[in-house]
Amino acid sequence: MMTNFPLLSITLFLPLLGAILLMVFKTGRKGTNLIAVGTAFLTLLGTLGMALRGLEGGFSQVEEVAWIPQLGAAYRVGIDGISYTLVLLTGILFLSSIVFSTKIKQKPRAYMALFLMLETACLGVFMSLDLLLFYVFFEITLVGMYFIIAGWGHENAKKAGIMFFIYTLVGSLLLLLAFLALYLHADPRTFDMRTLIENPPVTGGIAVFTFWALFLAFAIKTPLFPFHSWLPMAHTEAPAAGSAILAGILLKLGAYGFIRFMLQMTPEMFREFAVVVMAVAVFSVVYGALVAMAQTDLKRMVAYTSINHMGYLTFGVAVAAVSSESAGIRGLDGATLQMFSHGIVTGLLFLLIGAIQDRVTTREIPLLKGLLKSYPVLSGIFVVAAFASLGLPGLAHFPAEFQIFLGGFEDYPWAVAIMLLGLVIVSALYIRAIQRSFMGPVDQNILQTVKDVNTRELLAFIPLLILIILTGVYPDWILKYIHETVKFIMSSTQ
Amino acid sequence: MKQDLIHILPQIIVLVTSMLALVFEMLRKATGSLWTLILGLAAAAGVAISKLGMISTAFSDTFRVDHLSLWAAIILAGAGILCALLMRQELRNTGREGTLYSLVGFSTLGSMILAGAGDMMFLVLGVLISGLTGFGLAAYSKTDKATEGSIKYFIYGSVTGAVMLFMLTFWVGTSGSTLISALGQPGLEPVLVLLGFAGVIAGLGYSVSLFPFHFWTPDVFEGAPVSVAAFVSVTPKIGAFFALAQVMRSLHPEGLDYNLILAILAVFSMTYGNVVALWQKNVLRLMAYSTIAQAGYFLLGVIAINGSTLAVSSLVVFSVAYAAMNIGAFAIIQQVGPQILHFEGLARKKPFMAVAMVVFLLSLVGMPPLAGFAGKFLLFGAAIDVGYSWLAIIAILNSAISLAVYLRIINPMFFKKQPVYSTEPSILIRWVFLSSFAVTVFVGIAVRYFL
Repeated sequence: MMTNFPLLSITLFLPLLGAILLMVFKTGRKGTNLIAVGTAFLTLLGTLGMALRGLEGGFSQVEEVAWIPQLGAAYRVGIDGISYTLVLLTGILFLSSIVFSTKIKQKPRAYMALFLMLETACLGVFMSLDLLLFYVFFEITLVGMYFIIAGWGHENAKKAGIMFFIYTLVGSLLLLLAFLALYLHADPRTFDMRTLIENPPVTGGIAVFTFWALFLAFAIKTPLFPFHSWLPMAHTEAPAAGSAILAGILLKLGAYGFIRFMLQMTPEMFREFAVVVMAVAVFSVVYGALVAMAQTDLKRMVAYTSINHMGYLTFGVAVAAVSSESAGIRGLDGATLQMFSHGIVTGLLFLLIGAIQDRVTTREIPLLKGLLKSYPVLSGIFVVAAFASLGLPGLAHFPAEFQIFLGGFEDYPWAVAIMLLGLVIVSALYIRAIQRSFMGPVDQNILQTVKDVNTRELLAFIPLLILIILTGVYPDWILKYIHETVKFIMSSTQ
Repeated sequence: MKQDLIHILPQIIVLVTSMLALVFEMLRKATGSLWTLILGLAAAAGVAISKLGMISTAFSDTFRVDHLSLWAAIILAGAGILCALLMRQELRNTGREGTLYSLVGFSTLGSMILAGAGDMMFLVLGVLISGLTGFGLAAYSKTDKATEGSIKYFIYGSVTGAVMLFMLTFWVGTSGSTLISALGQPGLEPVLVLLGFAGVIAGLGYSVSLFPFHFWTPDVFEGAPVSVAAFVSVTPKIGAFFALAQVMRSLHPEGLDYNLILAILAVFSMTYGNVVALWQKNVLRLMAYSTIAQAGYFLLGVIAINGSTLAVSSLVVFSVAYAAMNIGAFAIIQQVGPQILHFEGLARKKPFMAVAMVVFLLSLVGMPPLAGFAGKFLLFGAAIDVGYSWLAIIAILNSAISLAVYLRIINPMFFKKQPVYSTEPSILIRWVFLSSFAVTVFVGIAVRYFL
């Protein structure tokens, strides 16, 4: 394949083009769905094409165009193994979510246009090699998600949307401060992330400030305890596909930030404060699990398990910052794989909950009964996804969490022991929910009204399900890209 | 002399334009007056563009021709044209329509003079010209509210103007010259310099509606015609901020840190404006408090003027952005109505107008990649560059509050089922908000041409 073919930029702006088409032409519902699904599919093909061109440990396939030369900012995109994993995840999950959303009847054009715009923003965040560009895309994700939550959400959507928007805006504004600090202390001043990674510019007090600003910004986004309070509300009120994207992709912006910025641009500080970060991470693991257990709303429950999973992930990154090279590689491998696994598993869970809610109009665990009998296929997929989420071997989360624990066990056996407790709680809560809502006798009221899964839903679910099993059984298909980059990063930061 | 006149050619063009516009009004030809203004301002902007990059002074250092004053000429000319078009739409065939255009011209001239002020007398002259024309514009519709607003505007203006004039005598006394650059010399009496500085803050702070000199702002915005509010929110503000930057450039005080005073004013202005805006039900009053808050952000650039290479660019870019997004928002308010109620369900009836309004408001918050972001980004960068990181942090927290303010308009537009609004926007309004929209989007992406 031609090396100077701008595949990244084309893939990046393809969804935006689709969104513009949808805004300009008054397409009917069919046309809207066709454009949206078609664009998302082509975008996925684009992301697959990137893997075909081959990845390296460092950034490759870089495309660069001058933007504000006076400030050293440019349009720079490129990928390495870590960002590629997330780019791929974005392509997959958006396609599934958009396919799932083709049922939407309320203002479908605006909905699909927003989704596609959001896809460009998410891809942009992961591909950017320029702080300013990164920040632009980072903020656009906020705006897009706000309108999706507030416009197509459930009862309290407006309040949840505003809370989400303002809370995470505070985070991203802190990010802006940190970026400014990095920029102003680089010599010569530049927004080029590659340069900033090679020579971390900040030292001393400024470095402490930058590190904590970055940490707060990404901890709000991830979210870690105690910065999580926007998450359950946003999840409960958002439409199903919106929740899937929120949990599957947007939370990863925070996790990705931990690696790309904190680990790579302020490595010294991360080493110094790694224990604090670990403590927050471990606490989030237990807290997320315990609070999830107390929920009666299925969607809220899954939302809180995200906090739990993000805790493992953050722990893995912190291990990479402070431990020996071999332990660090395991931790970071696991953390990156966890991002991918959590994306597909939780994305699928939220779509499934949406499908359940479409049928029985409630998400209250005590009110749901015998779903396995009423909707065997739908519930079967849910049970598999739930098992994946609780970390059953052979499914997607297991290889990720296992590596994180393995990496951490060497130096921090206690932390790992506490986190295992979190794993037990999450297992318990999923099994309890499955037992209460999915097992048992059939609820007669439900059975007659709606049928089991339809083709649209199957098309959205099956690819994710296959990936969950594939990643569980043979994680190396994606881990091989991750591992190259992790080795590269660890050899340069140690 | 000849060289001096060429240096101030943009200002001369605006002066002649304003007088010609008045002549047309005397002939009762309002349309002619409007066209004169548009062509004149466009010509002034063109001349200023051709001079960009020049750094010089005119009339023995009393007027500065530099980045600030040239960009001010370009921005103010553009803002003047757009506001005049809005006035045409709103006040067409009302008695003395032509005087509006003449006053817009004079006010623009006053702000242009301020932006290049190298002499204390130019400060006074500029504040007076832009103030006096403002009173007339604000009272144009002769309703009770307009008169009330205008009287407040007038009283505050005359008091702060008198204070400034009086306090400036201390500067003249201690430096022995009316030149602002004379303040750079060593050995000036610190107390006298401080008193003069206080006077300048009062006079210019009034023009830019900076806390605590802002009291006239909400009443004028509510009472005056919407198009006039749009104009008053932009033109005097940009001129006066550039003037303040010119003053701070030459002021090298011993002992007291004047930047700290400005920083404290900025904190109050931002916080007060945003917090009070949260409770407003009238969109115009909300925008009034929002302009008070935005005035605080401008100060970040002024503070950095001596220490950071980003400062001048940040002021210029933020001014372009501020003018475009404010005029755009006012154009839509003029079309839709002054209450938040009027905005309910706008997205259903007029989706593009609603999207444009969202773009203007989010740009005011500072969302990338819009113009407001580019401006704020440079302002924050400049402030951090000169060691005012804490101020940048407060500005950032304020941006988050301001989001809550603007969401109060955005939310009803999209998430209320019953549309209130129904009339079709006129061509003029459409032109104004489309061009503001284009600038708001374009400046964010093409910042490189403004540095």
